[in-house]
Amino acid sequence: MLLEVKDFGIEFHDHDRPERVVEDLDFSLDTGEILGIVGESGSGKSLTGLAIAGLLPRKKLKKEGAILFEGQDVLRMERSALRELQGDEICMIFQEPMTALNPTMRIGRQVEEALRIHHKEMDAAARKERALLWLRNVELEDAERVYDSYPHELSGGMRQRVCIAAAMVGGPKLLIADEPTTALDVTVQAQIIRLLQRINEEEKVAILFVSHDLSLIRQISDNVLVMQKGRLVEKGPVEKIFSEPREEYTKKLIAAIPRVNLDE
Amino acid sequence: MIKKLRQNPDLLFGTIFTGILLLIVLVGLIHTPYPTTQMSAADKFAAPGLMHIFGCDQYGRDIFSRVMEGLGSTFVIALFTVLIGSVSGVLIGSLCGYFGGLLDDALMRVNDVLFSFPSILLALVIVSLLGTGSVNVTLALGIAFVPSFARIVRSEVKKQAALDYVQSARLMGASHFRIIFVHILPNILPVLASSVMIGFNNAVLAEAGLSYLGIGVQPPRASLGRMLSEAQSFLFTAPWYAIFPGLTIVLLVLGFALLAEGMTEGGRDAS
Repeated sequence: MLLEVKDFGIEFHDHDRPERVVEDLDFSLDTGEILGIVGESGSGKSLTGLAIAGLLPRKKLKKEGAILFEGQDVLRMERSALRELQGDEICMIFQEPMTALNPTMRIGRQVEEALRIHHKEMDAAARKERALLWLRNVELEDAERVYDSYPHELSGGMRQRVCIAAAMVGGPKLLIADEPTTALDVTVQAQIIRLLQRINEEEKVAILFVSHDLSLIRQISDNVLVMQKGRLVEKGPVEKIFSEPREEYTKKLIAAIPRVNLDE
Repeated sequence: MIKKLRQNPDLLFGTIFTGILLLIVLVGLIHTPYPTTQMSAADKFAAPGLMHIFGCDQYGRDIFSRVMEGLGSTFVIALFTVLIGSVSGVLIGSLCGYFGGLLDDALMRVNDVLFSFPSILLALVIVSLLGTGSVNVTLALGIAFVPSFARIVRSEVKKQAALDYVQSARLMGASHFRIIFVHILPNILPVLASSVMIGFNNAVLAEAGLSYLGIGVQPPRASLGRMLSEAQSFLFTAPWYAIFPGLTIVLLVLGFALLAEGMTEGGRDAS
């Protein structure tokens, strides 16, 4: 088992009254699996993603349970050990490719960042070679030109591809994708989904796909978690959840998928 | 470059004014028309003319030569003041903005206290503790300039730290040090650059103010502020004594302000 989340909970303590935003969350993720987490805004799905990446602040919130990545608890790990994992074993792509890249740094440098930090034995030429390999692998045309560009010279879709390349360059085992296509238009969205599926097959990287879009989740995931108000509503294989949902909330969500019927 | 200058009059005039004054400072380092302390009874209050283009003061010293020297020390003091202020301000501000919490609260409250005094008053206090002289004045002004830089940098770092690319850098396993200095700092450079420019102007004025009060550069070295204060008594007998040093200060500040304005405008067009 690559990732096991046990009795996980988050409680915010930054106001007078503690606020529970995630409660009793249990799930696991195998090597090479794609797990979709779906839920409305405020369901705690993004927070769960951030927690697995070890990006939650250490203060002002209480974390319960355990998040085991290859048996090690991400929540209670030494900071230095966590840094070893981050960028190397666990990577993340974000919703907004506009702000996820540093505007003052060339693309090449940003893609190489994980190598610079985790693979100090690599020299500049090897780093560049690996970065270019990944820029091509995310289907960017003219990878050499992109390598020397700044983020503002690229389109949104290209930027998200760059983010995927930057995340994958170190060869992680888990990729957390937090609404990676929400800010993109529909055609680009479909391309990114196909790209993620291909990378998942070729690299055997597990993907945690966080989204509010059920149809996307259905396309890409093997298994699905449905969350509402910080609680797990239902989990199971994607086709089973869609064909015979057990919970009322899941049924409502599925019924809310917009259908285009041109015959009527 | 030339085309850019032509489209941007602020930048053009800023470059010209600052360039001329910088040239005067550089020439003044190796050569002045007259020795700056050479007195001459015959030339007492000589009017501006071919021999002395800015005229002479009450001891018959050549005002142009003294302006050259004074401009040089103003330049150097303002430069180091801004350097001290901005480097410490960047350090304090980025630590506060990035980490927040108790450190931020503590340092920013100290900052608020310092900020509540006008910087010239603060500098006066520090000078009275350290003693007069150009090194102490630079130090005092530098310290007095830290709070404003710290505040600007802190808010900018806070803004940047909330963006995904910082999150993403953290996720790459980058250390806090690396995130602050490699990832965030380049992104606040435009803001920092313009506050350095404004800071330089404030430093020029503050330095002139302090030497006007007699606690900056010590005589016999020339300083623009002190020349102004001496010229006050001879405003009607020798108006050029006040006009030329005053004009130099105005040009210096105006040139730098235009340069800063022009550069931000140029930056806006580029992005």
